[in-house]
Amino acid sequence: MDPHLADLEKRSISIIREAKAQFKNLAVLWSTGKDSTLTLWLCKKAFYEKIPLPTIHIDTGYKFPEIYEFRDKIAKEWNLNLIIAQNKQALQKGMSPKNGRLNCCTKLKTEPLKKLIENEQFDALLVSIRRDEHGIRAKERTFSPRDEDFRWDYKNQPAQMWDIYVKPAEDYSHMRVHPILHWTELDAWQYVKEENLPINPLYFAKSGKRYRSLGCHPCTVPISSNAETIDQIIQELKITKISERAGRAQDKEKAYMMQKLRSLGYM
Amino acid sequence: MIILALDALDQNLVETFNCKNLMQKEYGQTDITNFQEPRTIVLWASFLTGKNMEAKIPIEGQWKFQLNKEETFLRFFKSPKTIDVPACSYKQENHKEERILLKAYFNENATIQEYDKLIWKNHEKNKKQFLNSLGKHDLLMVYFNLADAIGHLSFGIYSKMKKVYTELEDLAGELKNSEQFTLIISDHGMKAIGRYGDHTMNGYYSTNKTLNLNLPKITDFHKTIKSAKK
Repeated sequence: MDPHLADLEKRSISIIREAKAQFKNLAVLWSTGKDSTLTLWLCKKAFYEKIPLPTIHIDTGYKFPEIYEFRDKIAKEWNLNLIIAQNKQALQKGMSPKNGRLNCCTKLKTEPLKKLIENEQFDALLVSIRRDEHGIRAKERTFSPRDEDFRWDYKNQPAQMWDIYVKPAEDYSHMRVHPILHWTELDAWQYVKEENLPINPLYFAKSGKRYRSLGCHPCTVPISSNAETIDQIIQELKITKISERAGRAQDKEKAYMMQKLRSLGYM
Repeated sequence: MIILALDALDQNLVETFNCKNLMQKEYGQTDITNFQEPRTIVLWASFLTGKNMEAKIPIEGQWKFQLNKEETFLRFFKSPKTIDVPACSYKQENHKEERILLKAYFNENATIQEYDKLIWKNHEKNKKQFLNSLGKHDLLMVYFNLADAIGHLSFGIYSKMKKVYTELEDLAGELKNSEQFTLIISDHGMKAIGRYGDHTMNGYYSTNKTLNLNLPKITDFHKTIKSAKK
């Protein structure tokens, strides 16, 4: 394996094992995107094939059909202990992005996860964010405490010197553990190639378009691309100047801000 | 008397960037929790009248709300001059253009760079007018929305806010040796939401005379101005 990728992998596996050792009830979030699938793969390596953690998939009801197909196939092949969380009540009442994207995300993503954490008493979650995805994620740390409303106080995070991860004694509801925080998008794709990982077909170009980041279908648009293979995606990433999440309709903070400015009469 | 009305000036950043001129002799936070929402027009109208104006200013058409001079502390002065003060001499067209560009940013039709450029351009106009008016009036009140307007899209970006606060610090520096009573006041503060900025329920004030105020309301300054005039 490429020494850089081997180093990234080694560090991630160490974080995953550290989290398993420190928390009583750890779970892993899986969107079926390349990053969270990569994390699942690292979990398999960390624990020698059988992942000893529940795998949580938040089903908003608005995912692409390819996501459901990929999820069920991999869950079976990798023998995952899959928990699917869904806010059925909100869906029955007709919740959709038409009710406001922030509102929709809160009802269909945040609330079912909150409920699941509470019901299953999870004290930590493995979450596959990377620092290079978004400006605000650059401030994240590997062990990132959240309160009961999922709030993150970036000014008050535990120190992580010399890669020693310590959970704070109090004042948090659950811990977000980020095993691939130090990876870049390019690293992830190079690793996918190196390890021959299964990948959702939505990432590959069809008729000059492909998805670079997967979300709900009403709020995700494809980018212009002719990359039909992993090698072509890697080549594309080496020269692109477009951000990874450019295809996502709104960042949550942007949506929140727009809502607030409206309430103050600015717009 | 000089009143520097600085929209969204926040004590945390004044201290973070060590803005001595903005601190003056006495400084601290104001409390605006007696308002339902920290709306700019409402807060400045309340500052000018000494009364909570929230119920009188509906959100629809709020930017065009205009006070009668007789309702405000301007009546205590012989030759008061206000520059761009909300609910008073607010430059409707300039601010409307800013809000259109703000909306365009959220609709992906304008960039932050275009928006920032307009805000700085309008700021420079007010600054010029302010500097030309110094020493010519018994009350000079000037409003700058730089910290609010830039902050809404960039409060989480340290370098940008440092530039804004340095500019406001330099403006306050123009008043440093003034013998007149000088009040620097904001309507509300600001907190970061990722890269963006949201209003908080604490404004800021500073004076070049010791008043020993303790978390005053924005409406309390009406009395302060009246007695300072006397």
